[in-house]
Amino acid sequence: MYISEKYYDEVFPFSGSWEMPSKCGLKIIEKPGQSYVIVTELYQDNPGTSVTYAGRSLARQICEAKGLRLEDIIYLECNPDMNSKLSFYEEEYYQVTFNDSSPATYRLLSCEEVNALFDRTTDVKR
Amino acid sequence: MKYKYKMKLKLIYPRWEKLKGQTTFNLPPHGPVAFAAALPDDVDVSFTDENVEAIDFDEETDLVAISMMLSTQVKRGWAIATEFRTRGIQVIFGGISAMLHAEETLPYADAVFLGEAEGYIEQVLDDWRKGKLKKVYNFMTSQPHIESVGPARRDLYKRELYNHKGVQMVDLFHASRGCKYSCYPCAVSYLGGRIFRPRPMDKVIEELHTIDNNRLFIVDNSLAQNKEWEMELFREMIPFKKKWISHTIEDDPKVLDLAAQAGAWYVYQAVYDTSNYIKERVRRYHDYGIGVEGTILLGLDNQTEDDIKRLVDFLLEIDLDLAEFTVMTPFPHTKGYDDLLRQGRIFDFDWDHYNAGQVVFHPKHFSSGRLQELYDYAWESFYREESQESRMFRLFCNVAIREMNEGTYRPRNRNLARKSFGKDVVRTGMK
Repeated sequence: MYISEKYYDEVFPFSGSWEMPSKCGLKIIEKPGQSYVIVTELYQDNPGTSVTYAGRSLARQICEAKGLRLEDIIYLECNPDMNSKLSFYEEEYYQVTFNDSSPATYRLLSCEEVNALFDRTTDVKR
Repeated sequence: MKYKYKMKLKLIYPRWEKLKGQTTFNLPPHGPVAFAAALPDDVDVSFTDENVEAIDFDEETDLVAISMMLSTQVKRGWAIATEFRTRGIQVIFGGISAMLHAEETLPYADAVFLGEAEGYIEQVLDDWRKGKLKKVYNFMTSQPHIESVGPARRDLYKRELYNHKGVQMVDLFHASRGCKYSCYPCAVSYLGGRIFRPRPMDKVIEELHTIDNNRLFIVDNSLAQNKEWEMELFREMIPFKKKWISHTIEDDPKVLDLAAQAGAWYVYQAVYDTSNYIKERVRRYHDYGIGVEGTILLGLDNQTEDDIKRLVDFLLEIDLDLAEFTVMTPFPHTKGYDDLLRQGRIFDFDWDHYNAGQVVFHPKHFSSGRLQELYDYAWESFYREESQESRMFRLFCNVAIREMNEGTYRPRNRNLARKSFGKDVVRTGMK
């Protein structure tokens, strides 16, 4: 299950659960007044913790490495289309909200939101 | 460091609730005895598998180690730990599900061991002797050399408890660790296992010599990882004349032929669609005299109700020997868990329910209740014409005949004919 490089600009190494060396795909999109941080699970190429499981810890590590403030970014998890028989979802983007005392919450972005994010018109179908 | 005082370690494998309506076989667990092989000589270990005997909480011991493989064992493991800790005895946890549920296990533990024990457990025991046990021993990223894996301590089993009406259960055995695949419902990649690590062949042979059982279950994740190694393994196994069960074998006539010569009895083969490929795959196993137990995962997002019914019909057409149905279960640290969590579709986080027979999430095409019904439908439909017991008996007869022809057949133990896993067999009289 190799992930197409179109989903990320760089591979970001991070410390996962129990300090497991882990990797994710990272793309940062700067829009006027807003930074969008998009993390993509690399599966076969991630030796450690998944981006979903790493959650807030991964977001913090990215912010620290890139000089961003967690409060200021919109943090998105990308579920890439893997073209695999045993994977059932097309490309999807979730906005993640981290809460102090409860688990993170996820909101699926609409096609329009995804297209606006990437300044494109019809790429993402659902 | 060698100590004069031989410490007493009580090793426990917690019980779990078995699935309703299915034939229960208690196999001797492999994880605890593989762990015990890594213990230094100055440790006196006793083993209790709670699935076949009760725990003696009053047994004199210095330290308790709880080994957990399944998510359905963790809550019971925590309860056992609480009981011992109340009595002032420290408890360490290890094993696959201790790793998958490590954060939640910490409050119930004096220490949680993450990783493989070979070469590292001595350090933990040294710390305990010094009264300096750490809360976490994290060796997830420092896997031991595979050469250091020694023969499992099968001497710790109470053998008579792994008998059903005098028939000895198979012994579990592993020839490799890790898996190069990263499948949707599986957590092996998180467990540090993405690199396939075959054991040296001389170590495999050494261990096979120690197993006083002519039937095995080779529990490696998949034997189809390295064709040359797999063929060498089978060549080396031929002289032992053992009969064995395993997961997938490479789909290659040369490999299948060697597997058959090496004693392949039946394999677990995933059946995920109704393709000709699957049909031919099953036929090729059968051509070499190898039985097939299909493993069928229900409730995946690409399955409609009609797909599931068609799949069950297909299983009957392709002449599977056995079928094992499970429902999709989002075990922590799997892609399935991440996907369903993000989509807000997991509604039950009670680990006792993560037995792969109880639906804990909202399926895509129907309700969770309907998936539960389809799961029951699949079991009932497949075994309607011939029961699971009858099909198992046929497979058993096949292997017994092969063993008789080769002079390796061991008659059942008549002294245990009225016992099933240590308990008296209750005979129901005919009216």
